[in-house]
Formats: sequence, C-alpha cells, structure tokens
Amino acid sequence: MATAVVTLSGGSVVSVRLASEKGVAAAPRAEEGAEPKDMGPNPISPEIKELAWGFGSFLVFLVVMRLFLVPKVRKGMAERYDGIRADLEGADASKAEARADVAKYEAALVEVRAEAAKRVDAARVTLDRERGEAIATANQRIAAKKAEAEATAATERAAARDQISAAVTTVTATATSIAVGKQADNSVVTQAVAQAMQSTGAR
Amino acid sequence: MIALEFPPINAILRWQDVAPSFNKIAIVAVLATIIGCTIFTLAARADARRAPRGARNLAETSVEFIENGVIMQTMGRDGLGWTPFLLTLFLFIYLCNVPGIIPFFQMPATARMAIPAALALMVWVVYNGAGIKHQGFGGYFKSVLFPPGVPKALYVLVTPIEFISAIIVRPFSLAVRLFANMLAGHILLVTFALLSESLFQAKDKILIPFGVLPMFMLIFLTGFEVLVAFLQAYIFTILTAVYIGGAVHPEH
Repeated sequence: MATAVVTLSGGSVVSVRLASEKGVAAAPRAEEGAEPKDMGPNPISPEIKELAWGFGSFLVFLVVMRLFLVPKVRKGMAERYDGIRADLEGADASKAEARADVAKYEAALVEVRAEAAKRVDAARVTLDRERGEAIATANQRIAAKKAEAEATAATERAAARDQISAAVTTVTATATSIAVGKQADNSVVTQAVAQAMQSTGAR
Repeated sequence: MIALEFPPINAILRWQDVAPSFNKIAIVAVLATIIGCTIFTLAARADARRAPRGARNLAETSVEFIENGVIMQTMGRDGLGWTPFLLTLFLFIYLCNVPGIIPFFQMPATARMAIPAALALMVWVVYNGAGIKHQGFGGYFKSVLFPPGVPKALYVLVTPIEFISAIIVRPFSLAVRLFANMLAGHILLVTFALLSESLFQAKDKILIPFGVLPMFMLIFLTGFEVLVAFLQAYIFTILTAVYIGGAVHPEH
C-alpha cells in the first residue's frame, strides 16, 4: 500500500513522497537552528514593472474604447435599433391601415348587402304583383275560352242531336212502315222519337 | 515510489523578463488590450445595419451585458454614461484572467497583485471623485460618514466603521478578492498538474494508473477556472458600479 509523506522544508518548499510498505524514505528536514533560506521577494507584493505595464495597458484600452470604439459601436447599435423601431412602427401603421380598410370594406359590404336585400325584396314584390296579374289574365282568358268552347260544344251537341233525331225518325218511320205495311205518320213518329230521346237524355 | 518536489511559490508566480522589464504578466496585459481593441475595431468596421455576426455580435453582446446586467441593475438609466469605463474594466480583467487556462500562457495576469491593486486604486479614485463631483467635497463625505436615518448617538460608532469600510477597506477587498481567487486557481492547477505528471512518471509501475485521478481533477478545475475568470471579472465590475452608483446617488 502506498503512503504519502508530506514534509515542509524551509518554510515553503513542500515535499510529497509516495512510498510502499517496504520503506519510507525520509524527506530531508531543515536542520534546526540553520540560517533561513532566501525565499526571494514577497510573492504578494506588486512589482513596479507589472504595475506599469498592467495599468498602462488598461489606460490605453480605456482611452481607445472611451473615445473611439464604444461610441462607434453604440452609434451603430442605436441606428439599427432605431431602424428596427421605425420598421416596427411602420408595420404597426400598415396593420392599423389594413384594419381600417377591412373595417371600411366590411361596412361597405353591409351597406351593399342591405341594398341588395332591399332590391331583392322590391323585385320579389314586383314579381308577385306581375305574377298575380298574369295569373288573373290567364284565368280570364281560360274562362273566356272555356265559355266559348262550351258554347261551341252546346251548339254542336244540339246539331248532333237534331241529326240523330232526324235519322232515328227516318229509321223509325221506315221500320214502322215495313212492320205495319203502311206509311207512318211522320209527325207522330217525330214526336215519339223526340220524347224518347228527351227521356233518355234526362236519365 | 515517487518524489514530488513542489516548486517555490515565486517560481510559479514570478516570470523571467522576455525583454527588459517585460515579462509574461506584461505580455498578457498588453495582449488583453490588443485583443479587446481588435474585437471592437472589427465590430466598429462591420455594417451596423445588418444583423450582427462574429466580432460585432461579441462586442454588442458585451455592451448589452454591461448595460443591462450591470449598470441598469445597480445605477439605473443615469449610469449608462459609465458604459465605456465599466465595459473596458470588465473586458480587461476577463482577458487577463483567461490566460490562466490557455496553453503556453497558463498564467492569469491577475494572479499577481500589480494589476488588481492598480485597478482597485483607480476605482477608488473614480468613485470618490464621482461622489465629490456630484455632491461636493463636504456633501460626499457627509453622506459617506454620516448616513441618514441613524440616531445621532450612534454616529460615534457608525462614522469610524463607515470611514474604514467605504474609504479604506473597499479598494483592498476589491484587489484581494480578484488576486486571491485567481492565485488560488493557478496554484490548484499547478498542484494537480505536477501530481498527475509525477504519478504518470513514477518508477513504481503500480502507481502509474493512479495518475488519471489528479488528471481528471485538473480537467475539472480547468473548466471551473473558465467560470471563475468570468465571475471574478463580473464581480469586480458590478462592485465598481455599485460603488460609483452609491457615490453619485447616495439616496439609493
């Protein structure tokens, strides 16, 4: 097993030894009462050359940044931000304008729809009226035609009946004369046929 | 058996000069300035009207982060004039912190006391100067040393505490917080790197597989240092904003 042996020598030099069980090598020890070794300058105290180079570099950096670089970068940033802000405002204005246009269009659409509805209603009223008038005219014409047709039918029916009556009278008189052997009275036959046709038409 | 010799602390903190009076800390500080200026120069040259990309995106994100995440939270809209100062402070500290985990650098410039101390001292001058400019010398120190709403008898106790806290301790706490955090991270990385190296090179073959344990810890700590680098820069910046905001608008 390895063992770490840490020894302080001379106040600051640290000696670390890892040794196996076989043997631990003793670290050199500072002899008691020996003169303290010269450790060099205090490690914390600042060196003038480092102070001068460090602070000088910083001052140069600060002057260049303060007078030239930061104002230029900041100006560019401000210009771009102003541009972005102007673009955003322009976009907002365009959006508001578009919304106004949409509102205007919708108002016009409502107006046009109302006007169209009014016109449709007026047309419907006109159509209803004209249709009523046309139907009335057609009905009148139909009634006139019907009356005319009925009159014609009645005339033709009367003429047909007269013809049938004459034919039946002729047939009846001829049949009667054949059956009886003498000429039948034409007026009696005509009256009888007329009565028979009348009674048949009445049934 | 392995023998791990941890180097003296100065060996991992003090760097040889690569040129007269120019060491790794100076290189990191100068590079931080060059990188920051390059990013913002590229950003400033890019077409601002288009959607930001690359360096411009990075620059604008950092500006907005400082404005929205630091200034608006601590100083309000009136503090936006401090954006260049706070942005530079944040970027400089961050770019000095990050080399702690970048191969070949592996040293955060803020793990040495010089830069945190210089920046903290500058912040102290700036917030006291801003307070005096806005409220006048007497008005500023009156608002700092004699906070309103405190019973007069308590001023005997409160005034020395406020003086020590606001005038003396603040720059020390700012500097030490940044320095100590970055130094601790650097030492931890060095420790686990040395330990894993020693285990991998151990003469006793049975110890070699154990080298993965400190190596995994090293990987985890490297990731953690990315977070620490950002966090310490943010803390330093936001505290600076709080101090300036408090000095300029004591009623807040």
